[in-house]
Order: sequence, then structure tokens, then C-alpha cells
Amino acid sequence: MRRHSLWATHLLLSTTCLVMLVPFYWLLKTSLTGENLFSYPPALLPDNPHIFYYVDAWYSIPFVRYLLNSVVVSAIVIVANIIFNAMAGYALTMDFKGKRVVILLLLSCMMVPYQATVVPAYLLTKELGLLNSHLGMALPLMSTIVCIFMFKASFAAVPRSLIDSARIDGVPEWQIIFRIMLPLSQSAIATNVVLAFTWSWNSFLWPLIILRDDNMQTLPLGLANFLSVVEDTSGALYAFCIMVLIPGLVIFLLAQKQFIQGLTTGATKG
Amino acid sequence: MPFRASAAFTVIAALISTLLALSGCSNESEPVQNKIVVLTFNMPHYKDGFSRWVAEFHKLHPDIEVEQIDRKGSNWGAFYHTQVISGTAPDIIDTQGGAWLQYASQGGLLDLTPFLEKDAEFTANFYPELLQSWIYEGQNYGIPLYFTKTLLFYNKLMFQEAGITSPPNSFDQLMEYAYKMTKGEKSGFMTLNFDWLYWSLFAMNGIDLVTPDLRHAAFNTPKAIALIERLAKATKDGAISNISWTGRWVEPNSMFAAGQIGMLQAHSTALLWMLSNTSWINENTIGFAQMPGNWSTPNAHALHISADSKYPQAAWDFIKIATSGEGAYSLGISLNNLTGDRFVNEKILDYFSQTKPIVVPLLRTQQEHLNTLVGNWPLANDAEIKEALYPELQSALLNHKSAADALSRAEKKVNHILSRDDRTAQSQSSVSGGQ
Amino acid sequence: MTVKFGIGNKRLRESTLIWFLLFPSLAVFLLYRILPLAWNGVLSLQFWSMYKPPRFAGLYHYKELFLYDDVFRQSLWNTLLFMVGSPIGIALGLMIALLVNRPIFGRNIYRTIIFMSFPVMTVATGVIWLWLFSEKTGLINYFLMYIGLIDHSQPFLEDFNLALPSIVLVSIWQVVGLYMIIILTGLQNIPPSIYQAAKIDGANSWQQFWLITFPLLRPSIFLCLIIGIINSFNAFDLVYVMTGGGPGHATELLITYIYKTAFTLARFDYAAAITVINFSLFLALTWLVNRMSGGNAGAVETN
Repeated sequence: MRRHSLWATHLLLSTTCLVMLVPFYWLLKTSLTGENLFSYPPALLPDNPHIFYYVDAWYSIPFVRYLLNSVVVSAIVIVANIIFNAMAGYALTMDFKGKRVVILLLLSCMMVPYQATVVPAYLLTKELGLLNSHLGMALPLMSTIVCIFMFKASFAAVPRSLIDSARIDGVPEWQIIFRIMLPLSQSAIATNVVLAFTWSWNSFLWPLIILRDDNMQTLPLGLANFLSVVEDTSGALYAFCIMVLIPGLVIFLLAQKQFIQGLTTGATKG
Repeated sequence: MPFRASAAFTVIAALISTLLALSGCSNESEPVQNKIVVLTFNMPHYKDGFSRWVAEFHKLHPDIEVEQIDRKGSNWGAFYHTQVISGTAPDIIDTQGGAWLQYASQGGLLDLTPFLEKDAEFTANFYPELLQSWIYEGQNYGIPLYFTKTLLFYNKLMFQEAGITSPPNSFDQLMEYAYKMTKGEKSGFMTLNFDWLYWSLFAMNGIDLVTPDLRHAAFNTPKAIALIERLAKATKDGAISNISWTGRWVEPNSMFAAGQIGMLQAHSTALLWMLSNTSWINENTIGFAQMPGNWSTPNAHALHISADSKYPQAAWDFIKIATSGEGAYSLGISLNNLTGDRFVNEKILDYFSQTKPIVVPLLRTQQEHLNTLVGNWPLANDAEIKEALYPELQSALLNHKSAADALSRAEKKVNHILSRDDRTAQSQSSVSGGQ
Repeated sequence: MTVKFGIGNKRLRESTLIWFLLFPSLAVFLLYRILPLAWNGVLSLQFWSMYKPPRFAGLYHYKELFLYDDVFRQSLWNTLLFMVGSPIGIALGLMIALLVNRPIFGRNIYRTIIFMSFPVMTVATGVIWLWLFSEKTGLINYFLMYIGLIDHSQPFLEDFNLALPSIVLVSIWQVVGLYMIIILTGLQNIPPSIYQAAKIDGANSWQQFWLITFPLLRPSIFLCLIIGIINSFNAFDLVYVMTGGGPGHATELLITYIYKTAFTLARFDYAAAITVINFSLFLALTWLVNRMSGGNAGAVETN
């Protein structure tokens, strides 16, 4: 790689990182000091940082229980997503009558405004007997169209020769999906995990509507209730934001290596 | 053809299983038979107090369980509406401001007039004018839980600096003082704007929202145009902070708390918030007064019973516990607010005079002049009208539009809403009544 | 990649298989997207108070929307404007993805930092940017005045002209991580051998990009475009927290108008009509984008 192109790359990326980071820095700083919410000019360095807001949040709500609720729901969502989306993505790599319709149907499902679906979704979930439950919270999120298409693209990139030879050897289709295609689509799986986790972890409106029990609350909900009296104005809100954010980042970090091209696929993708 | 058959088969199988699931083989436990559900509005820190209410309630109804669901203001509507639609409306709901009107006008709330008439002793506890705030078409739908109303906070230090000795007693004086105190970053006057809280400014200039028969808009008058032009100019000049028209809760109060505003029209809850966020606010630095003309907009919470509640009598008993006597007292001192019960309020004021004296003169303003309340019209479409009018006013006040233009457009919209009978017609055909 | 079989039993088995594979996902969407949409569609033709049975209303609500409701027209316009920001976001996401895909030192760190904006709850994003844009206490005004670009604080979120662009900016900040991750996944599908072959043939980086990378990224970019169309759904919390739709509906989007109508005003019938229009608009745009990408969700024929 030529030197000045390397330089330019680093410069561009660093600038972008800076722009992306400024809000985070401020989020973190305010969560540690609670300053500058009402005063001016903004101080660049934190003055007297303390973790009081975090401690407050931890003790003011049944933090661990809410955390567990969120974890359970997200786990269900992630597993269901990978299985369902991979299946659907694979189906879409094949040619069949009505494929165009299915694709348009899937795309049009994305166009439905989410907030307009919560009431009928509530009624449906009630009929299914899943109100106030982890499964009920997870169900609407168990498949996502974005990920279906990503699996479709990843599977489509698997060399035909591999599939054909497997078919000739009489390998059943489902084994082709799970033994050949998925392992070669690490990146799509990783993305699926990250996206499914984020969308279920941050889900707010749906749990709000279907949960009644205090001990079923998910983390964002539980923390939001804790903050309601202070009208979202103190450093506690910022601490809340950071606390809800961290697991998502951790998941992404763990999924990082799947985005490195060539490591797993170079040898097998012709 | 084989493809069509298998595709059709799979789709039908999917539909059948979905329909089976939908047709109610639900194993969800049916709601416990003997239970009332109470949906409260943003009181998560009152859990202990609520349990005490429940304990009192169980003395009368030991076999009826009480479930509390508390939702934050911004989420309350989403939760409540979903419950109503799914047929499981909470027995008791706690509403803020005028939201109850749309529910009452559609027959969703129980008429409480018979209960009030039967329990005359209980009814006598309340300020009559306040109780009237929940009357729609001659019937009373709500009992006050706690209430606040707007008043004028003023920064005594800024008053002194500008040579002002006492709070304004007319609109002209208000504007004059506002200009006097404006300097640099500081503005002389600011108001909250949600839920009709700003309407006292209109009332003191003789402007009404609607005609007395509640059928037509009445605010598009030369006086109103002149008023808005005056306010818009003052906003442009900085005498009225523009946050008055764009802020919600935090920004206006924090600016006053930062010492940048000479006079703030807000309701009494603002003081509590400011006290907890600043150190300089005390009796010597902040004063309280009624707005000129003693006009004020109430911002109250009330309890209502759902029209289809299975236990209206039990719900009524619960409401009595929460809104009067010991139950109300513990709520009032916990929230630093007055309740609807006059006698309880005296006790609350006693309590604060010993523990937090600065609150006492503030709360006294809340008790006075309950006969000059504005911003509380019994309009079925109150929320819609607010949404139709305020953005137009806001545009004019921020000098984005001419006052005449804004008012005429708002008038058209409000008249259209008032004349639309698609839902009020339905409410007249319903039979609303207790069980 | 297409797989074609012969006639007869194999075909039947394959079709059954395909529909079986599609079933779970389709079931979820049937329950939670299609049926709700139908519910809204039917409701949009009725008068309905939530306490009572509905009555037929015909096109009353649609007439109301198009003839009387200037807030609806404003929301529609704002939503369209909002979509205009997405090509910028996608271009940025593409550029960043390409850069972090290179074997440079620290690319994990870059990738993580740039992605960080995505898992943040939109409410939290709204809160922090609300403060950043604040006229009196915000960092952006402070910074812009510090470097001399402006001479006094701008009320970004209270200005009729600046409020929507501010929200669009935040939305781009938030979504660029998603675009990046989608494109990165797409980049994984391009075998390095193609680049090697191209290099041997003497192609420079620019040509490699335009002739190899970009065409092969078509499915990913298509996906990003679709997300760009519906991105106003994600902006719901941003608008709610930062401006509440104001000033004077300058930042009202169709999605926020739907929410307010249903959950503040309890007018589900009216909200249903807006939902149908919102859906139809986005569907039409999606159809257009699909057409322009070859009709197969941007799929690429590899050989």
C-alpha cells in the first residue's frame, strides 16, 4: 500500500471517528459529572467525576432482574433470527414461481410503520396467550427482512461447484444450509447477531405495551421508569444511556473478527 | 400442478395454524376475577404510599385485589389506549390536564355524579370550583387527585436591579417590567406553553377560545391579533424569551433556575424542580404572585372510573381513599402538591410550614382564585384543538408568520374540528352508566 | 445462483421445501406486519371510537387528510425531505466500509468506534444531540462560534428552517454504522481472487472499485437504499425527544403524526388512514428502487 494513500486513509478514518465520538464523549462525561446540562460554556474536561449516577441507577431498580429479562428476550430473538433468516435466505437463492412476489412481499413488510402495528400486534399476542411473557416480547422480532436479504446475498456468493457436488453426493438440503452455506457466511451471521441483538435490546414501545408485571420489565423500560420523576434532566439519564449501550458494544466487539475479509473465506471461495 | 398444490398447501397450513392460534386456544390465565386495576400517571416513587392506600382499601374489600400499573406521561396514552381496545381497560385511571375529555365524550368513563350525590360528606371536602373542572355535558367524571395551577414566579434580584418593587398587576405592566429587566442574555418574561398554560395572557386581554355554546372559535379578533403582534415583537426584542414558545418543561425552568429570567409563568411544580437543582433559590431571591387579573390555568390530575369496570363501587371506594383524608395527605406531602381536599390541604400547609417553609406561600397561591381558572374548557376535542391552535400561534409568536394569517388559519381548523361530528354523534347514541 | 431441477417428484419436493423454508419468517411477518397493515387498512375506512363498534366511513378520512389537513401535508413533505438525506448517509457508509476493509493497522478500532452510534437507543441519541444543538448551552454553537463560523448562537432545533436538517444530520450520524455493517458484510462476499486477477490484468484501484466492487455490492447497496426509504421510522424517537415535531410541525414526520394521532388523540381510524398512505408511498418508492436495481432485490448474477 503506497504511503500517502495509507496516510489519507488514516486521516479520513480518524476524522470520522472523531465526529462519531464527540457525542459519546459528552454522553460519558455528563454521566460522570452531571455538569453543563444547564450551564455555559461547556467544559471540556470532567470536573469531579463520580459514579454516583450509575450506583443510583443500579440500586434504584431491580437491575439484575431487568438485565436478565432483556438478555432472555434478546437470546430468543437472536437464535430465532439466525435460523429463520438463513432458511428464508436460502429459499430465495433458488428459482421458483412466485419468487418475485415473495421478494416484493418481504420488502413491503419493511414499509409498514412500526408504531401502527403495535395495537393489532397486542391483540394477536393476547390471542396467542403470550402477553406479559418473554416469548411474547420476542415474537415480533424473530425474523428481520434486512438479514434475510443479507443471507440471500451471502449464500448466492457461495460457489456453485460446492453445492452441486454436495447435491450429487446426496446431501439433504437442510444439511447443505447448515453444514456448508452457513459456515461460509460467517459475516452474515455476525451481522445478523449484532442487528438482532440491537433491535431487541433497544426495543421499547412493544415491551411497554405488553408487559404489566414489574418483574418482567426489560432494562430500557425499567430504567426509564426510574428516571421519570426527574423528568430526564439529570446525569442519571446519561448514565442510563451508557448502561443500556454497553452490552450492544460488547456483542459487536465479539463479532468483530467476522468482518475481516479473507480469513475464513479466502481459501474456499474460488 | 405440483408446485401450486404444495405452495397452496403450505400457505393454507400456515393460515389454519394462525387462525387456530387466533381463535383463542389461549392458555393465558384469565384476569383474576376479583381485581381492580389502577393505572397511574408518573408516580413511580410513591409505591409505599400506594400500598397504604391498598391496605385501607382492603379493610372495606378484603377480597378484591388491586393491581397498580404506572406509566410515564409520554407512554401513558399508548398503554391506556391499547388496554381499552383489547377490552381490558383499567378500572381506575389517573389522567392529567384535559385528556379525560376525549375519553368521557366517547363514553369511556363512568358518570360519577350519582356517587358524589350519595356521598355528600365526601363531596363536601372538595373545592366546588375545582370539582367543576371535570364536568362534561352536565355530568361529573373525575375526582381531583392533586392539582397545580399557573402562577408568576419572579426573580427578586432582577426586580431590584431594574427598580421594580412589586409584581405586575396588569398586562401592560407585565410587558413593561419584562422590557425593563431584559439585558444581554437575560429576558424579562417567560411562560410555559403546554396544556394551555399560556392562556392567562389571552384571558387578561379579554380573549376567549370558543363561544359560550362551545360551538365556534372565538379567538380570531382584532384584540387577539394585536396581542399576538405585541407578544411576537417582545419575543423578537428578547423581552420574552423565545423558549417560552418552543420549550417544554426542562428548558424554561432551567433558564429561570439559572437566573436568566425575570418572571416565569409556570405551575407550582416548577419550584420543587428548581429547588432540587439550584442552591440560590430561597424566599429572599424568589417571589410568587398571581398573574395579573388572577387568571391561571390548572394542571391537575384526577381519578376516573372506566365505564365498563366490573367493580364500580369498589373503585369508588378506592378513589375516596386516595383523594381525601389520610390517603390524600400522604400523597400531597410526598409530591409537594395540594390535593383537591380543602381540609387535607390545610394539614399539608402545616406540615410544610415546619419542614419546607418556602413552599407555603407558593402553595397558598394555588388555593386562591379558583374562580378565575381558564384553559379548562369542556370540549370533547380539547386535545385536537390544542394541536390545531398552538402550532399556528407558535409560528406567529416566533415571527414566522403574521398574526392575522396564523389566527385565521387556526380559526378555520378549530371550527372544522368543532363541527366534525363523527365521534360526538357516536357518544350520544351510547348508553353510559354504571352497573 | 439459480438451481433448476427437472420435472416431476423432484420439483414437488423442491417447492415444498422452499415454502417450508420460507414459512417461519413469513409467519412472523404475517402476524406482525401484514395482519396489522390489514387492520389499519380496514380501520381507515371506518369511524371508530375505541370504546364502541366501528361504523363505515368510506373515504372520509382520506378526504380529510388531503383536503383539510395541512399538518398531514407538512408531514408528508418533511418525510420526503428526510429521505433526501439517505444517499449522503449511504455514500458515507460505503466510503467508510471500503476504508476499514483495508488491511491497515487499527481497523478493528476504527470499525468499532464508527459503528458505536448504531446500538445506542434512539432516545439516548436524541437526548445527547438535543443538548449538543442547544442554543444556550450546547457544544455545537460553542464550537462554531469558537472557530468563527457564526457570530451568535443559532437555535438549531427551534428554527423553522434549521430544525429538520438538524434531525437529518443526527439520523445520518446514527444510521451510518448500519450502512457500514451491511456493506462490510457485502464486501465479504467478493472473493479476493477477482481482485488478484484484475490486478494482474493491470486494473488500478479506481477501476477495481467501479468494475468489480461496486457492481458486486449491488445487493448491499440496494438494502441500504431500502433502509434509507424507511429511515424516518427510526427517526421517530429523535423527533419526539429533540423537537416534539416542532417548531410548528417543521419536523413532523408521517410516523410521528401517526403516533400522536393514535396514542395522544386516540383517533385510531385517522391514524390508520395516514398509515396506509405512508405505507403506499414507501412501497411505491421501493418498487421504483427495485426496478432500477434489476428487479431481484439487487441480486447479482455471478458466474
